[in-house]
Amino acid sequence: MKLEPGSAFPDLDLPDHTGRERRLSELAAGDPVALVFSRGWWCPKEQRHLRELTALQDEFEVAYTRIVVVSIDAPEVQAAFRAGLGARFTFLSDAERRWLPRLGLLEESDTLHEPYRPTAFTLHPDLAVHRAYDGYWYWGRPTSEDLRQDMRAISRAVREDFRT
Amino acid sequence: MSALPRGAAQLAFDGAGLVAGTTPGRGFMVDARCLQGEPVRGAYAHVCALADADASLEFDQPEVQQVRRDALAWWIPLLGDALISITTLALDEARYGGAITVTREPVDWDDDPFARIFPGTLLRSDLFCVVPPPAGPVIERYGGVAWPGGSFAT
Repeated sequence: MKLEPGSAFPDLDLPDHTGRERRLSELAAGDPVALVFSRGWWCPKEQRHLRELTALQDEFEVAYTRIVVVSIDAPEVQAAFRAGLGARFTFLSDAERRWLPRLGLLEESDTLHEPYRPTAFTLHPDLAVHRAYDGYWYWGRPTSEDLRQDMRAISRAVREDFRT
Repeated sequence: MSALPRGAAQLAFDGAGLVAGTTPGRGFMVDARCLQGEPVRGAYAHVCALADADASLEFDQPEVQQVRRDALAWWIPLLGDALISITTLALDEARYGGAITVTREPVDWDDDPFARIFPGTLLRSDLFCVVPPPAGPVIERYGGVAWPGGSFAT
């Protein structure tokens, strides 16, 4: 599956951190999305990166933009991790590896957890990929400034009254 | 109250009961999705609002922003499967009149963050249907619709 700029990201159907079935398009709800695939709560790199995303949520909350995190953690684990972070965005659980193989995002070097390879995608409201990031090496992940720039570019493209 | 924005519906609250429409009591705008599906009979509706016409704050005041953050952070997760729907109560494009949390079963209403602003009244209601909870982190309103309703999707 090609997950590159311009391609349509699949409309993931997964349980959220409370166990409710959700669809990615429903979570986007007509807004741009920062979609982050994370190894899981145990990884120090994920803990650091998600703390940065949580700090950024104060901007997303007033900017009509969304953050969605996907990992292989079970919903109850995600709920605890989310609460510990102070996050107010949605986590989706792929504990059953429902989408991981279809997306081709298995991190093959971790045979213990079989987690997602850390990746991130910024998406238009219709789930078209704006930009893709491979965060296997930490510095490949989007910084807060990368996400601001992407959200600005997508918002400029989809909000008719966005003036430059 | 001016013309209803797209995605809004109206409810009236007189301090003891809720009805669809604008009377009796005080009329509020709600997230229309809460009233558009098959209603859950005998649901528990915790109405954190007052019938007094002067009881309002601006949605943009920090305490009204914070209760929406608290709803996303822990109130909705705490309710789990008991949650049917949740809506704030708008008086117009700018003013907040309260909120309603609707559940299938009684919960610990003392935890309701919206009750920090206006006290809660617990009712049984046949008006509300199941609506997926807001995804967050957005706490802003879309075109004046009561949070978490509305959308810029075309």
